[in-house]
Amino acid sequence: MINININKKLHGVEEDMQLDVILEIEKGDFVALSGKSGSGKTTLLRILAGLETTNGIIHVDNEIWLDTHKCKSIQKREIGFVFQDYALFENMSVLENLLYVKKELKLADHLLEVTELGEFRNRAVTTLSGGQKQRVALCRAMMKRPKILLLDEPLSALDPSMRLKLQNEILALHKEFGTTTIMVSHDPSEIYRLASRVIVLENGKIINDGKPKEVLLRTQGSQKFSFEGELLEIKKVDIIYIAIVAIGQQLVEIVISGDEAKDLKIGDLVNVSTKAFNGNLKKNQTT
Amino acid sequence: MNTIVAEVKEIKSVDNLNIVKFYFADTTLSMMSLELSERVKVGAKVKLITKPTHVAIAKKFTGEVSYSNQLDAKIIHVENGELLSSIKIQIWETTLESIITKDSSERMNLHVGDEVTVFIKANELSIVEVLDD
Repeated sequence: MINININKKLHGVEEDMQLDVILEIEKGDFVALSGKSGSGKTTLLRILAGLETTNGIIHVDNEIWLDTHKCKSIQKREIGFVFQDYALFENMSVLENLLYVKKELKLADHLLEVTELGEFRNRAVTTLSGGQKQRVALCRAMMKRPKILLLDEPLSALDPSMRLKLQNEILALHKEFGTTTIMVSHDPSEIYRLASRVIVLENGKIINDGKPKEVLLRTQGSQKFSFEGELLEIKKVDIIYIAIVAIGQQLVEIVISGDEAKDLKIGDLVNVSTKAFNGNLKKNQTT
Repeated sequence: MNTIVAEVKEIKSVDNLNIVKFYFADTTLSMMSLELSERVKVGAKVKLITKPTHVAIAKKFTGEVSYSNQLDAKIIHVENGELLSSIKIQIWETTLESIITKDSSERMNLHVGDEVTVFIKANELSIVEVLDD
């Protein structure tokens, strides 16, 4: 069990804010940390890792990591940290990067096997692809057999197929080592696949906390198929109206009645929704 | 969008699938739904919606049809376009709109004052809001 009760003043780009987090995390849980940039997610990870100080308490399995008298050093916290930008030792081989953390060859080879890096163990890390480098970073983080694995958008720089592979490997290692994992992520499919709990931060405060489906499913009343968009145009055709709405990178058309059209104007932010029963789903031929 | 205010009468569930029944006018409405908000419970007043294009109309209807929602109504307004017709119908104090093809409207000879039956499928009703009393 991890108990966190911290507060810290942060200097944001636009204005200062207070990071104010009270949180209990069960041992072995996989928690996704989500929220807009600048909401305090990375700072929270860095505080847990001991890279930043703050007021408050952090207890991990009844051990004090932080309180008013004590701040456990980074080296003594049993933490593995994977950053977005790999942060490997570029002058070392794959294996040397792992053994630098702990001289345990058997564990290093096992981790490289799980992440399909066995054949690259003696390669210089500079010769690896982004996905391979991030796997090395993941293996290196696991070398300490950490109690807590902290992942800061580890897969955001990778292409979708590599991302899927690494998601599976992260989940496999999380389970095998029984670590408590906290991952910063913005990707709903990643959060749904990996996490058992999502915590959403905004301006340094927790604004949502629950199971991924509960937190991520966009609903409009009992309608499960809901998107926000901008109304671009309303065209009258015969006695009906066609609304053209920009949703993300796409335009969609929705048929509305005259009464509905009356209340709308171009530029309005609108919600397009329908029931889960009404959508058609077809496999995309290119996948 | 057609809006109907109704009261939850009954909720039947299998896993996260629900059939919700409502008291409305002198009849019962049925809605098919996945997860429901916790505020949707028996006795709650809710605002239901359905699109005009999802509302079917029958005249002098006899026999059986699978539509769960069948309401007796009266036509209060007919607007014909070139291809489509908008038919406004009244059920007690509630007005609904049905958009159908003009061919159907003419075939059925629909006029203001006609007594008709309105059909809405259970999966085409949605709860859009739970109303506080």
